[in-house]
Amino acid sequence: MEFIIIISSLVIASLIAILAKHRITVECVSISASAVALIESFVVAFKVALSGDYSPFAFFSVDALGALLMLIISCVGFATVAYSIPYLRKETANNIIGFTRVKQYFTLLNLFLGAMFLAISSSSPIFAWIAIEATTLSTAFLISFYNKSSAMEAAWKYLIINSIGLLLGFFGTLLYFTSIDPSLGNGFISWHMLTTNAIHMDPLLAKIAFVFVLIGYGTKVGLAPMHTWLPDAHSKAPAPISALLSGVLLNVALVIVLKFKIITDSVIGQSFSQTLLIVFGTFSILISALIILSQKSYKRLLAYSSIENMGIIALGFGFGGLGVMAAILHTIYHSLTKSALFFLSGNFLLKYHSAKIANVKGALKALPITSILFLIGFFAITGAPPFGIFLTKLFTFSAGITTHPVIGITAILLTAIVFIGFFKHASAMVFGEKPSEMKQEKESIWLILPPLILLILVLVLSFYQPPFLQVLIHNATLYYK
Amino acid sequence: MNIFFLQFLLGILFLSIFYLHLAKKNFGAVIAYSIQSLIITLILFTSFLETNSFFLLFVVLVTLVIKVILASVFFFRLIQKHKLTFSVSTYLNLPLTLIVLAGFTAIAHSQKFLSLTNIIPAHQALLSLALSAIFISLFLVINRKDALSQAVGILSLENSIVAFAIFAGLEQSPMLQFGIIFDIFIWLVISTVFISMIYRHFGSLDTSTMKHLKD
Repeated sequence: MEFIIIISSLVIASLIAILAKHRITVECVSISASAVALIESFVVAFKVALSGDYSPFAFFSVDALGALLMLIISCVGFATVAYSIPYLRKETANNIIGFTRVKQYFTLLNLFLGAMFLAISSSSPIFAWIAIEATTLSTAFLISFYNKSSAMEAAWKYLIINSIGLLLGFFGTLLYFTSIDPSLGNGFISWHMLTTNAIHMDPLLAKIAFVFVLIGYGTKVGLAPMHTWLPDAHSKAPAPISALLSGVLLNVALVIVLKFKIITDSVIGQSFSQTLLIVFGTFSILISALIILSQKSYKRLLAYSSIENMGIIALGFGFGGLGVMAAILHTIYHSLTKSALFFLSGNFLLKYHSAKIANVKGALKALPITSILFLIGFFAITGAPPFGIFLTKLFTFSAGITTHPVIGITAILLTAIVFIGFFKHASAMVFGEKPSEMKQEKESIWLILPPLILLILVLVLSFYQPPFLQVLIHNATLYYK
Repeated sequence: MNIFFLQFLLGILFLSIFYLHLAKKNFGAVIAYSIQSLIITLILFTSFLETNSFFLLFVVLVTLVIKVILASVFFFRLIQKHKLTFSVSTYLNLPLTLIVLAGFTAIAHSQKFLSLTNIIPAHQALLSLALSAIFISLFLVINRKDALSQAVGILSLENSIVAFAIFAGLEQSPMLQFGIIFDIFIWLVISTVFISMIYRHFGSLDTSTMKHLKD
């Protein structure tokens, strides 16, 4: 029932946003729908923690990792809607957008959230594929939201590259179905059926299928070298949408890859999929480390940081053992921190009207709270203690050093480069003198609260995880190890 | 259904993609895509004749309406509205394009992909041809500079994958097939809107002139 409530509330909110005549209606309905999704996600998470996989209908099934992802989608989703309301009001006040745009924004945002919930909770790989494709379609217009040439270019690039990727992923998905007797399941094949029938699959076909799935869905994850759409799309979309794209969508696609990894591993063993994850993970960290140093836009900086972090998560799953637990924790910390950082980048954008690092000077004086939170977010995302990412990186790399010493050490050096590059840009923005013509204004509490709460959540979860969350992390680690 | 008839249909599908690589006019490209989609509809219809599933017949009808009729209407209106008679050039010239096409076709028929083309041994020739169609459709999206051809390339890639799935016996339940076609329909609508917007912003559909995004 929870799944139907979540998805129907988001779809209804979308429909109301289309028909609404008042801004307040659109905002109230959207925040209510995301609040419902948040509450119901906690209900699902508790059920999974208590009794294992939860599948009330044939079409829906959630395991421990799925429940964790549902919590991430709902938490970041709620924060995104809460942040979007004052953010879009400011943009309207600045004559950047009108009411029609606001309606379009919330319609697509609610559909985007609904599609991500569907992708995670679907019991069928094809149903999940349809939902992932729906995330592409719902976000394409959000990326081109400002109707500028650069935004249009980013959106087209996003649409084409992701569509190719997803079609390759679809082809790989179909290849896994060769393990199933066509008379079974009446054409409806579930993840469970694929896992239990994996032994019937031709090993060579399993390898080819996993390559297609990894390249296909890996495009959506943002793994290099299929990452080229990501910095463009994330930098051109409105800041709250970038938060959802970077903080949530990449992880949703990664979970689909991991589900296929489990099936592939049961056919040919772990080494093939682990090697591929290590190769793509390392390449992603390398690309982002090299580009972050010379980055000129702070939104692109955050986007490349996402590629780096998805690379670290892929490495964790590739190394196996302790790395898997670290990767799962890293997913949680990265989602919350990166979303907070994108919200804060939105505050910079509203104040400075530019996404260029060179144009943002003396932010500590112009936007003191935002700047302090941005610095905290920077330390959290780059893995400085006491934040959780420090430990997850430590665990991932120590797992790597024991099995793949060269890769482990290379990854440590590359993340050090990312830290230096990020610090250089963050300090250039925050410190120094603000432009003399810039007025000193009080920062809006509503633009501060969502990132502040997310960062507090990261800090708390770095030291303490509630028992139900510990159970979910433990069970997910055991299953995906 | 007679395997030679299916081979004939698949041969036309393959040739239609080949033509998409050579087409200089957008009108011809859209016609080629419509023929290709009609072939897929016919292949699906042969599945219906074997199964007698009325759900499948519904899928066949929806495929016909969306892929053959609506897709053509959308693209023709776009071509007429913006007077997009000629398609933009390719990244590789014609001789090189033909060499790459021959290469992909040979690779798809090689022993390297035997585990893919041997899923149903009786359909090996069909699966090899369908795999070639997948490869050259993918190359179509990469090699073409204009947005309209790229969109047609994506749809052609989807058709090729569907053809492969049918001959490999990997068809999905009619409900999921309906979901996939609905997804394709939404994709079609969004891509045509985007193509229109790209034309308004850039004055052409040449994606190689889009250079607003730089690291």
